[in-house]
Amino acid sequence: MPDIKFRVKRQDPGDNNNPEAHWEEYTVHYEGENLTVLEGLFYIQEKFDGSLSFRFCCRASVCGSCAMYINGAYRLACQTNVKHLDTDLITVAPMPHLPLVKDLVVNMDEFFAKYEYVMPWLVRHSPDPEKEIIQSPKERKKIDMPVDCILCGSCYSSCPSVWSLGASLGSKSEEYYLGPAALLKAYRFEVDSRDEGGKERIARWNNERGIYRCHTIMNCVEACPKELNPTEGIQWLKRAAVRRKLFRKAK
Amino acid sequence: MKAEVVSAHKGGMWAWLFQRITAVLLIVCLAIHLLFTHILNIGELDYENVANRLAHGTLTAVDIILLAAALYHALNGFRMVLMDYWFTSRTRALALTVVLWVVGVAFMAYGTWALWPWIS
Ligand code: SF4
Ligand code: FES
Repeated sequence: MPDIKFRVKRQDPGDNNNPEAHWEEYTVHYEGENLTVLEGLFYIQEKFDGSLSFRFCCRASVCGSCAMYINGAYRLACQTNVKHLDTDLITVAPMPHLPLVKDLVVNMDEFFAKYEYVMPWLVRHSPDPEKEIIQSPKERKKIDMPVDCILCGSCYSSCPSVWSLGASLGSKSEEYYLGPAALLKAYRFEVDSRDEGGKERIARWNNERGIYRCHTIMNCVEACPKELNPTEGIQWLKRAAVRRKLFRKAK
Repeated sequence: MKAEVVSAHKGGMWAWLFQRITAVLLIVCLAIHLLFTHILNIGELDYENVANRLAHGTLTAVDIILLAAALYHALNGFRMVLMDYWFTSRTRALALTVVLWVVGVAFMAYGTWALWPWIS
């Protein structure tokens, strides 16, 4: 029955007696070969401290709730087997650069507001076909990458263009960078052969707080636990803007 | 709480495209400029030699394009950096753009004026 040490960053900004961030250590026991970081957190919550807060839902890396900063990298707690981290000390912190709610829970309101802003849905103007809208395998291939995004927020939290427009500078939230996740979603629909919403959507991402705040730093590519490439999507959008404005192409 | 994210920002494609175009121009014109200034028939570095070199219409044209491309590329790059920080709203960004254009045009005029004897 192996043991493994967890060092968890705890903070409750609402607790007047102890609002500061601090690290706490717990020893987690587990049976058998495997333990995910999420299971470790369950163990801590059950055995040591029921007040430990963290988000989770699917436990199968499809919902994107459990993104955290684990041993120095953005990871999904449910997808991370402690064995693969190859260490006997697991450090777990909330995603940095996002407003903290409590312990490992961060505020994602801005993130989802920006996501919604780029119109992340299929827009159709032509009359509905009788059956499904046909898409060739080649066309489907184009959305293979962006369609896998689970909106975990890792890329958004890792992007210096997102941080630099922080509220500390007094700018209004509507002037903040949309961030890699929202733009990857915009790309996912713009590149989709079935979508006809380009005309409405383009003004939302083709501006100075959209694609042009991306300076191809590529932290998002490194951060993404699903190994997606938001930068590639954003670069495609930059080219698409030129194609559409200059050559009146539809896509 | 739902955050409001409607933005007044519009466009940006031209600045992005010109940044790329001027980058290519910079590589080409800078190579020609350096080649003729420092490698091919340098001679004495006196007024006459330099004046002779500038007497070639094509070289003067390359220098003018180089000046314009370098100014645009540098000032727009600077603008991009500043827009990451305080110049985030449309009004601030617009004010910044106007100021940088004035600076750019002033430098361009000064540079062209210095080369004027060989242009005319
Ligand atoms: S692109 Fe990757 S890191 Fe960003 S939200 Fe989607 S899954 Fe998460
Ligand atoms: S719990 Fe759903 S992604 Fe980890």
